[in-house]
Amino acid sequence: MRLKIKLMAASFKMFIRQREAIIWTMILPLFMVFLFSFVKFDGLGHVNVGIVNHSPDSTLVNILKPIQALKISMGREDDELARLKKGERALVLVIPASFQPIGQDSLTLYLNAEKPQETQAGKLILQRALDELVFRQNHLPRHALRTELVNSRNLTYIDFLLPGIIAMSIMQSGVFGVAFGFVILKKRGILRRLLVTPMKTNDFIIAQVSTRLLVLMTQVLIMVGAGVLFFHLHFIGSIFNMIIVGLLGGVVFLSIGFALSGISKSEDQVAPLANVITLPMLMLSGVFFSRSNLPGFAHVVTDFFPLTYLADGLRSIAIEGATLTDVFPQLLGLAVWSVITLFIAVKAFRWE
Amino acid sequence: MSYVLEVSALKKRYGDLVAVDGVSFNVTRGEVFGILGPNGAGKTTTLEMIETLRPIDSGRVLLDGLDVQQEPQKVKQLIGVQLQASSFFDKLSLTELLLLFGETYGRQVDALALLDEAELRDKAKSYVVQLSGGQKQRFSIAAALVNDPVVLFLDEPTTGLDPQARRHLWGVIKRIRSEGKTIVITTHYMEEAEELCDRVAIMDRGKIVADAPPQELIRQLLAKGFKKERVERLANLEDVFLDLTGHSLRED
Repeated sequence: MRLKIKLMAASFKMFIRQREAIIWTMILPLFMVFLFSFVKFDGLGHVNVGIVNHSPDSTLVNILKPIQALKISMGREDDELARLKKGERALVLVIPASFQPIGQDSLTLYLNAEKPQETQAGKLILQRALDELVFRQNHLPRHALRTELVNSRNLTYIDFLLPGIIAMSIMQSGVFGVAFGFVILKKRGILRRLLVTPMKTNDFIIAQVSTRLLVLMTQVLIMVGAGVLFFHLHFIGSIFNMIIVGLLGGVVFLSIGFALSGISKSEDQVAPLANVITLPMLMLSGVFFSRSNLPGFAHVVTDFFPLTYLADGLRSIAIEGATLTDVFPQLLGLAVWSVITLFIAVKAFRWE
Repeated sequence: MSYVLEVSALKKRYGDLVAVDGVSFNVTRGEVFGILGPNGAGKTTTLEMIETLRPIDSGRVLLDGLDVQQEPQKVKQLIGVQLQASSFFDKLSLTELLLLFGETYGRQVDALALLDEAELRDKAKSYVVQLSGGQKQRFSIAAALVNDPVVLFLDEPTTGLDPQARRHLWGVIKRIRSEGKTIVITTHYMEEAEELCDRVAIMDRGKIVADAPPQELIRQLLAKGFKKERVERLANLEDVFLDLTGHSLRED
């Protein structure tokens, strides 16, 4: 027992002293979140409308300008149409020279065919503005909308992204950290030197695994903490549940790392193998983008990726406040993967 | 006479290659026993079978009366090993490494005393990567001494070292010898064997072709009527090199 503790202390010390490892497991994932926090993926934003006003009257333009959903630019007709073709405008409204607030003029509206959602919304708003002119003139009775503000949780892209990034860094440090670490220990004869001591090989493995799981827990805590403090993460879940799911995922990816270090002779062999395994998951497991955009056939495979279970599980807990019972499917998926990957790791791992 | 190491008819085969072909020898307590031979003679393979690192195809090794194949764990407790290409964890200091290695034997060692033995006290807080070739080898010997082993195995400890570092290492080995430790050392430097060993076995192509004290082997050769093309040389190039660059120890 004393040896186990000493081995654990030593491997933790070694990890802490390895600056690159700290950068990879803690700083880099947070830096990614920081970069992504500048990207606005949320909602439609606004509709770009170009207006070409040939008439001296500006009543219509004055009604349109305060509408927040529109981003209005005034310009010459040829210029605005050119911008429409470049995709900078969703619609271009041309007001004829003869336009009067009251009348039956025909206004021309050019629509960008590539932006059906924006043009549809823009068209409704413009038609509504024209109707407003008529109402103002005639004081007709009409139905009124009584508005009331309701605060929503208003989840942002960061809320989606951050749990995914936590899942990603658990995968990366498990697979790459262990695979590279052990191949180097093996290649440089360090493991061999340990084999001539009476130390039980399992004690060494246990020390390595527990160090890495401890690091993993720290990772989860730091990333959630940084998310709440710096990135306005709407964290409403239980950190304990996050760690439970994270640890189960950690077991899967550590096992993959051990298996890879067993079948590789050098760092050069580890890198491509580790990438072949992690890249598809990184792209298709819903770390960065929702998997709902994937075609149906892709779901057949990606639904069962361990990283999908891990990312989904962590995300439900973090932003939906899911309990461990709620994420039972994910826990089950990860448990099944743990058994499979542990089995492979035990079979493939070599000391020499 | 009690032997602390008894090797009999040891064999190891890799496919068609017979790496070790019926090797037998005995080592007495307190003796420095050298295994000499060209590269590929089977020295390292022999040593690794004795050290429990490699399965034995046939033959038997008794270490302090324990059968290496039957009781590898007990044998590991009794031996100290310096491997030919052994390295150590990167981010632990020499002191921390010695303490950790001590723990693997269930011992709480005096790391500084061990470092003194290898003349590395001033490097106590350094990492192994910061050591020179000679210092690394001396540290490797210190690490092999953490369990106060019954037999110390040194596999080509001075290969690749410059003359000063080699002489420094010899000094360390001689002191360990003077403390009465049994040492088994492999080398392909004849001079080293002559300097350090009480007895040598010469190995070639997996077999031991001679086994006797160095002076005895030389006497036997001369008795066969061997005459060396003799030029009276009172010094050789190594003497010149050491004269010019200094016998004294370098920060090696």
